[in-house]
Amino acid sequence: MTRLAADLRYVARTSLRGLVGSPTTSAVCVATIAVALLLVGAFGLLVQNMQGLLDRVGDDLGVTAYLEPDLDADARTSLAARVATIEGVAEVAVISREEALRRFREGVGAQSGLLDALEENPLPASLEITLHEAQRGPEGLRRVVEALDGLPGVADLAFGQEWVEGYARAVRLARGVTIGAGAVLAVAALLIVANTIRLAIFARRDEIEILALVGASRTFVAWPFLIEGCLQGAAGGVLALVGLYALFRATLPEIESGFSLLLGFAEPAFFAPGSALALVVAGAALGALGSAAALLSGWRS
Amino acid sequence: MTGPVGEAPRRDALVQMYHVSKSYQPGSFALRDVTLEVQKGEFVFLTGPSGAGKTTLLKLLFAAEAPSEGQIVLRGRNIARLRERAVPALRRRIGVVFQDFKLLANRTVEENVAVTLEVLGRPPREIRRRAFEMLKQVGLQHRRHAHPPALSGGEQQRVALARALAGEPELLLADEPTGNLDPELTLEIMDRIAHAAARGTSVIVATHDHSLIERYGRRTLQLEAGHIKEDRPPAGPGT
Repeated sequence: MTRLAADLRYVARTSLRGLVGSPTTSAVCVATIAVALLLVGAFGLLVQNMQGLLDRVGDDLGVTAYLEPDLDADARTSLAARVATIEGVAEVAVISREEALRRFREGVGAQSGLLDALEENPLPASLEITLHEAQRGPEGLRRVVEALDGLPGVADLAFGQEWVEGYARAVRLARGVTIGAGAVLAVAALLIVANTIRLAIFARRDEIEILALVGASRTFVAWPFLIEGCLQGAAGGVLALVGLYALFRATLPEIESGFSLLLGFAEPAFFAPGSALALVVAGAALGALGSAAALLSGWRS
Repeated sequence: MTGPVGEAPRRDALVQMYHVSKSYQPGSFALRDVTLEVQKGEFVFLTGPSGAGKTTLLKLLFAAEAPSEGQIVLRGRNIARLRERAVPALRRRIGVVFQDFKLLANRTVEENVAVTLEVLGRPPREIRRRAFEMLKQVGLQHRRHAHPPALSGGEQQRVALARALAGEPELLLADEPTGNLDPELTLEIMDRIAHAAARGTSVIVATHDHSLIERYGRRTLQLEAGHIKEDRPPAGPGT
């Protein structure tokens, strides 16, 4: 067997011995990492769903161009074709006055009988303009509106500029909060984990001292602790994932009814397999980093 | 045997200490101006009252402490100002039997002996074979699966010796290696140490036990208040 294989065997055996040999300390380390990751994960899950909702709302962004009443069908079609060539416009749908009234009736629902009293259809024909995905923001919207403004046949434009700007601010804020709070939580988690592992390593300082006395290099001493931290971190990640899923399932009815009430739709989603794996890997990295920080601090002192 | 201070070092000197002093507090010396040589395969007793500097001298040799003054040369390399990174490689060439054994409580007797060989990067099969062989030599092969806390002081002492000798070190340092042993085991252990010296390992044994010194008749360094008071040559071949 090569030196590397022998070393790997030693590291694996010593790491497992460390885990099994001090179950209470190991459990405390795993629980600490799990709690830290549960907080980070819960926050990540919240932001992921916020982002999903905002994207979904963003998909509906567009401009409605109300047309002059005297525009006939050919003129409307020709105007629609011209609008479709504006940069940033993905799609243009012509909504006739009759179609507009039909939609309005549908929207009013049971009260639609009241509309029968109208002598003539008061609604104008319009163009429903959908933007390219990349243009669904305040800037893209402004450019399209500027191109539409003053076009012959266009009487008025509706595009909810304020709402769009609010939406963009919300997306920026959500991203900023994700990065800021995520970084703070990650650093706090690392400090807590490093401190917990430091206590665990302190309890085994005799072992480290003896290994050093028989000529073990720092790398030889450190590897089993790093692997141990890594395994504890991964276990903490799995535990956090299970806890998050349980919480998600338990609060799903409340989340769904809240979103439905607010936005008319709700599709809360749990982490995709890739993100779930990332949480476990983050746990393993946190455990290894915690061990490294604890070892370095121990050696310095 | 070593020549007097000032004489040119012999070609097979393993340890050379030149005017070495160690001070833990200003004005107070644990060792003062110690100069000595130990040859390859030489067996040296280090004796003297408690606080004379025996343990300090041993600690300087395996780089657990750095000297305050002077030079320490181990097989041609000055270790007095050894970089921390180079210490493990030095220790892998030295076997140490500590007064308090320093065994790993969470590992079996066999694993405690094996750790020296694992640090040396020996193959697993050789580690198992050699660890068993060493335990057999100290009469503890039947206790190889036990953990140190389950052993008597004497048994722990023998495990510590087996660990120290497992890697066939160039230098064996033993601090009171027979302090916990009955007379019969003391002789067995000392014979093991003498056997290692006969095979080329230089040995320095710190002991209070004058009967051992007389029985083995080896070179003896008498320390007193950090000085070498007497460097007594061997009386004759060891028994």
